[in-house]
Amino acid sequence: MSGICRSRLAEERKQWRKDHPFGFYARPEKKSDGTLDLMNWQVGIPGKPSTPWEGGVYKLVLIFPEDYPSKPPKCKFVPPLFHPNVYPSGTVCLSILNEEEGWKPAITIKQHGPLFNPALPSHFYQILLGIQDLLNDPNPESPAQSEAYVMFKKDKVSYEKRVRQQAKENTA
Amino acid sequence: MSTGTLSDDDFAGSSDYDDFDSQEEGSDLEYEQTEDIGFSDMITEKQRRKAYQVDFSVLPLSDIVSAQASASSHVAGILGMTQDQAAALLRNFKWNKERLVERYMDHAQEILDKAGVVLDDVHTPQVKRPRGFVCMICFDDSSAGPAFGLRCGHVFCQPCYEHYLRQKIVEEGECRRILCPETGCNVVVDEPTIKKVVPAAVMSKYRQLQDRVYVSDLDNLVWCPAPNCEYAIECRLSHSSFTTIVPTVSCDCGHKFCFNCTLDDHQPAPCGLVKMWKKKCADDSETANWISAHTKECSKCQSTIEKNGGCNHMTCRKCKYEFCWVCMGPWSEHGTSWYNCNRFEESSSADARDQQAKSRASLERYLHYYNRYANHEHSAKLDRDLYTKTEKKMEEMQRTSDLSWIEVQFLKRAVDVLTSCRMTLRWTYAFAFYLARNNMTELFEDNQRDLEVAVEALSELLEKPIEREKIAELRQQVLDKTVYVESRREVVLEDTAKGLVDGRWEFFVDFNK
Repeated sequence: MSGICRSRLAEERKQWRKDHPFGFYARPEKKSDGTLDLMNWQVGIPGKPSTPWEGGVYKLVLIFPEDYPSKPPKCKFVPPLFHPNVYPSGTVCLSILNEEEGWKPAITIKQHGPLFNPALPSHFYQILLGIQDLLNDPNPESPAQSEAYVMFKKDKVSYEKRVRQQAKENTA
Repeated sequence: MSTGTLSDDDFAGSSDYDDFDSQEEGSDLEYEQTEDIGFSDMITEKQRRKAYQVDFSVLPLSDIVSAQASASSHVAGILGMTQDQAAALLRNFKWNKERLVERYMDHAQEILDKAGVVLDDVHTPQVKRPRGFVCMICFDDSSAGPAFGLRCGHVFCQPCYEHYLRQKIVEEGECRRILCPETGCNVVVDEPTIKKVVPAAVMSKYRQLQDRVYVSDLDNLVWCPAPNCEYAIECRLSHSSFTTIVPTVSCDCGHKFCFNCTLDDHQPAPCGLVKMWKKKCADDSETANWISAHTKECSKCQSTIEKNGGCNHMTCRKCKYEFCWVCMGPWSEHGTSWYNCNRFEESSSADARDQQAKSRASLERYLHYYNRYANHEHSAKLDRDLYTKTEKKMEEMQRTSDLSWIEVQFLKRAVDVLTSCRMTLRWTYAFAFYLARNNMTELFEDNQRDLEVAVEALSELLEKPIEREKIAELRQQVLDKTVYVESRREVVLEDTAKGLVDGRWEFFVDFNK
């Protein structure tokens, strides 16, 4: 399957440009010669409305391995995010991003006839929406940083305050 | 089988041999041959063994394969399916036949789905690309080449499917539940499909994984941990008994290890103690050594102090106590002698040093045992080196004198015994460290000392330069000592093992938590 990585990413990009959820963005980085680097993407994930994350757009880089789509991309918040499931390096800990857990190479586009095409599931779609869900719904079973985890467990009020503060610092 | 027979030779040569009647000897010989017998019908020896020995058998890979075959053909007969299908189900039930059959009666379809077993032919994987097919992994829409899909209807092209399975099998070592490559789909890829998709090399890896999983699924089987060894060991003792029994087994490849924790043989120390000791050594030994060598404690508040320069006039940063670094006595008695102290005999300094000694005692105690533990490990390595050197010498002897190959083998045996005794001695120190002091401890220490003295004597003997004319004499001495050392080791092991079973040893920690 070597070599399918780039063509697959080009396809993902096509799907994303055709349609993507509101408030999100995803663009490949530019190489020094001006061409697009499909292996490295900059993405932005908005916090869900009516959660403490609302108003913020959180920036990540997605780094795709040569083995994609067999292996998942590395997703890293830049700068690192205050969140129980984000490592101090910014890397996200999420089961769908682990090839031994939830990661699968295929994600099928459901076709609902030529005219009506509501949502186009793609890996981008799945990953970005998955991370958006994770923001306000952390998984206390797999903490990745102590600061946010301890505060989330012990002092919900301060935790939410800190999250709101972070949202203000990260407006688009 | 080279050194695999050693343990039996060993006690045949030992002085305890008289304890065994001829019938026992016969059964031991028979035991040596049991390795070819299928293990399901293997008769575990009920006869009396030594207290520190456990019954076990060594199984070659072919036995592991045939045991799986016989279990699955049995279940296949009951449930009316092929042997491969039954094996797939059994793998999901950790090879518990009774539980599988019982559950299958009530929830057949659920169990089949979970194991990815498809009984009827209707669901066999598709091999033709449907019209307008686009592989959702590579987005290739060409119509050439085969494609595969399970009953869930998710179809992918052959190269993508193969790559996916190869990654799961070869890289991730998965063989029980490989799911359809579609996100969120939990249909298990069945064995016939895997066989159709992947090349033979990957399939053989898959089979190998199945054997590995079989052994790790069963509580009474472990793989020999030696590199490249393909034998498995079967031991039918219950795992709860391993708090009082140290189940040392020796594989036909010559490797001796603990059946329970698969670490190298650690008799007489039980697994829990070994774990605790190893952790302690990893955490503490270097730090403790450093503290012992570089620091002293404040005689007042017991803070650990490192002197990194300056004169002998110390002021404790914590309690502000002023003392002399050399004699540990209070500084008030020193006046102006900042760089030398000649007050060693003064009673106040002596008191301070006593205090110091007490607070150091536990640290020193640990180091006492640790250093001996580490020393035997180190010496065993040196003995090995010595052996390689001597081996060369012996080869030369064979060429230049009339000694035959068999006559110089005593040296190899002596080094083998020496090494195993050092390993035993090493663990006696970890054992002793956790032992609470009572009358029993003294007995233990006597035995330990006797073994230690014997071991060092043998070691010394082996280091003597070999002179041609004295070789017969040396040989006799080495042989005698070897037998003696071995018998001392028996005494230590026998006594500690019996003590563990009888609960005679008192430890100041509970390592069976």
